[in-house]
Amino acid sequence: MKKKICHIALCILITLTCACNKEFDDYPEPAETLAGNVKDAGSKNNVQSEAGDRGMRLVLEELSWSATPTPYYFFTMQDGTFRNTKIFKGNYRISVEGPFVPLVQYDGSGNITVDNRKTMDVAGTTNVDFEVEPFLNVAWVGEPVYNSADQTVSVQVRFTRGTANTAFHQNVTDVFLFVSPNTYAGNNNYDNKYSVQVNYDGTSGNDLLGQTVTLTTKDKLPPSRTYYLRVGARVDYGLKYYNYTDIKSISTP
Amino acid sequence: MKRSMKDHTTHGNIYAEFHPAIEKRKNIRMKRSMTDHTTQGNVYAEFHPVAENRNIRMKLKIFLLSIICIIGQVACTDLDIPPMNVIQDKDVFATEGGIRIYMARCYSELAMEDFRYSPTRGTNHFWIINPQPANTGEALSRDLNGATAEQFNFWERAYPLIREANYFLETLPSYAKNFQEADVNHWLGEARFIRAFTYMALVKRYGGVPIVDKVLSYPDQSIEELRIPRASEEDVYDFIAADLDFAYANMKGSSETGRANKYVAAAFKSRAMLYAGSIAKYNQVQLFDGSQNRLCGIPATKANAYFKAAYDAAALLDGKYTLYRKSWAAGDKQAQMENYINLFFDATSPENILVKEYKYPETVHGYDAYNVPRQLMGGNGYSAEVNPTLNFVELFDGIPKNPDGTIKTLDDAGKYVLYTNTLDLFANAEPRLRATVIVPGDIFKNESIEIYRGIYTGSATGGISRLLPAGSTAPYPSANIVSSANAQQTPYTLPNGTKKNPAGRSGTFTADGTCSVSGFSVRKYLDPERPTAEVLENRSDQTWIEMRYAEVLLNRAEAAYELYAAGQAGNYLQDAFTLINQVRERAGASLLASAAALNNINIVRNERRKELAFENKVWWDLKRWRVLDREQNGTIYRTLMPFYAAQAGRYFFDARFDERNSRYTFDNRWYYQEIPGSEISKSQNLIQNPGY
Repeated sequence: MKKKICHIALCILITLTCACNKEFDDYPEPAETLAGNVKDAGSKNNVQSEAGDRGMRLVLEELSWSATPTPYYFFTMQDGTFRNTKIFKGNYRISVEGPFVPLVQYDGSGNITVDNRKTMDVAGTTNVDFEVEPFLNVAWVGEPVYNSADQTVSVQVRFTRGTANTAFHQNVTDVFLFVSPNTYAGNNNYDNKYSVQVNYDGTSGNDLLGQTVTLTTKDKLPPSRTYYLRVGARVDYGLKYYNYTDIKSISTP
Repeated sequence: MKRSMKDHTTHGNIYAEFHPAIEKRKNIRMKRSMTDHTTQGNVYAEFHPVAENRNIRMKLKIFLLSIICIIGQVACTDLDIPPMNVIQDKDVFATEGGIRIYMARCYSELAMEDFRYSPTRGTNHFWIINPQPANTGEALSRDLNGATAEQFNFWERAYPLIREANYFLETLPSYAKNFQEADVNHWLGEARFIRAFTYMALVKRYGGVPIVDKVLSYPDQSIEELRIPRASEEDVYDFIAADLDFAYANMKGSSETGRANKYVAAAFKSRAMLYAGSIAKYNQVQLFDGSQNRLCGIPATKANAYFKAAYDAAALLDGKYTLYRKSWAAGDKQAQMENYINLFFDATSPENILVKEYKYPETVHGYDAYNVPRQLMGGNGYSAEVNPTLNFVELFDGIPKNPDGTIKTLDDAGKYVLYTNTLDLFANAEPRLRATVIVPGDIFKNESIEIYRGIYTGSATGGISRLLPAGSTAPYPSANIVSSANAQQTPYTLPNGTKKNPAGRSGTFTADGTCSVSGFSVRKYLDPERPTAEVLENRSDQTWIEMRYAEVLLNRAEAAYELYAAGQAGNYLQDAFTLINQVRERAGASLLASAAALNNINIVRNERRKELAFENKVWWDLKRWRVLDREQNGTIYRTLMPFYAAQAGRYFFDARFDERNSRYTFDNRWYYQEIPGSEISKSQNLIQNPGY
């Protein structure tokens, strides 16, 4: 009996000893910070985007790890800033993807013709700004106006080409007034009931480039609420991400 | 036997060491039967009586040694044999029956989007309540209320089958001597067909994928060798074309039902090349790897070559198959409708090119259970998962339409047109529409399928005005409308004293989605003979038609029109016109007046959308045309809601946006689906598609 107990105890001891592997993960915890802005090369203002996976994202390729690393992605905030405090120390090739002229362009046979990616060491707090050419600049014209007659809001915007590169002058497909009850307004988050989308066929959207476009919300906005408004427009290129204005709010009386 | 002799000799030698004197006798004994060692000992004893004691000891030793030798002998069986309980190549590849079994498995694994497919659960799944037609605008469903990409890992299902095909291709030749050469070639072609089919299923989802054309083996090959990078999308289509060309060249002209032959290969080539041509022409996404391979997209300059290949492949089937017209009669809409319904149930249809057969109880599906109209619901409590949209119905001829192509439900004064029966609106509808869709009041399984949304109790004097403004997505007002929340209805007393349910027995209910939510119910493929007691999950066994001749004609027409539109020399427009009219004539639709009337690619495309509706093909078509992001752009599909006007004693129809406000937005990224992360973890050489 005593022997049996000893055996069991021994087994448990062995199991526990095995489990007590003191080999930790060999790598130090990622602790470097990469921060910066995605800016419009023309105006030097931040490019507006939406939060989440149809917005802008950073592409990090850790060249100090491998010549062909699996990319690591993270998204910018909707105002075009980004900050990631958990990056491994190393040498990276950094790019950013979004509704602007791609930083890497290929010719028809896959040769890189344009490469504006940045290769740098990330250590401590590394700041980097990217200057890009958005497909469209979407800008407010005046302030949103509340129409008390039908409880709607009208806004005026103007969209213009953000790049002189005619390879990225695709047709403007639609303009969208996003209405949201919170500050995250955009294609990822809007209220169907009030938001309004205007689609353009063929080149008809291009005719409105530089013109003032008026958009009015659908349905009746309830009183005594604050709504956040934003206008997006896009061209028929690639994954068709929106370019945005910044966000304005309006409180219904 | 040889081994056994050797053991006896050894035994003999040991014996000889102790008794050199009897060497001679030993030889004699060796010549006699060597099996009985006891006899041996006895013989020895007779010759040496003086050595009695020693003899007994010896006897014992010999006896023991013999036992050891026998054991040793038995133990010396070669253990290095294949396990007997595992079927081996020689069992499979040496007989036609074995090959049939091997192929049966391959076919069962083929990624067909059939009765057992849904975008959320994948292929070969029993529970199909997220039907693909509710993802394309063909239909609405209570269980799929918005656009979705496929949500299953197809990649990991495809490569095992590719391996099986490759294994077959590598193994069969060593057994070829057992068969006729023509048979061997046919089977090799069949395996190439299986492989091509699977690559087609991969490339239409992911773009370029790794091309594996031989059996990979680990650990003979290093991990790094096995991490095959993605090939270009173009190369994958070319690989498919090469496989199907081989199949066409090597296979026989006929085969048993459910298996490929050379014409099946040609038919699939027409489909594959049409996809490739469309992508070359319409795709905008580009993704390159570091070695100039275009993983997503095909150079636009290749479009015409692919369209030509699709056109030529389709032409190979000329005269081999025909459109099903067994009970078709000119000018007889009823006969044309019956004919179109029967097309999906006649096992001897000359239109069937490749089918997948089901048979209760071994292989089954639940298509009837999930899709019957509510009033014919079976015991599992499912019904009406696929409810065709008004957008789809409006594609067809023979219904009153406004100049913009939408259905006309209002008279010139803007009041609803009144009908005695709900079916009256569809009195002159194209037969194909009524064979595809159950419209309100239509007959199915000898029952009139009652579909109406409510009873309008307001005054009908001077006509009834629109219930809601045009384009409204708001719910119906409660004033003047009686409706039902579910199938437990409280009858409403009409002005003449009779009672009538506020909604049809198949809908539309306001709170319960088991009914028709669009005003229509699907008819295509629903078995009209199956009794309600058998309308159960895993009980249906009608045959799925994966490829039928109508698709080949439409492939050819589309390729021809694209070639014509690209200015290619040839009689393409006339050919496309003839083909479209063949399909239309059988459908009972109005014919194109002349080749000149075929002036828009959308005529060809809409024909395809009508003819192949609810066959799980449309989503892929809309994707390869790269139009789905336009069609599903915050889109709410339209429905047709019949009402019974109590005061007038007649029905009217309200065309409106889906009252449930299901909104569809196709994400542009979905043109190339996300490569499953688990696959990239296994092979870091795989480059993810854009945007994921």
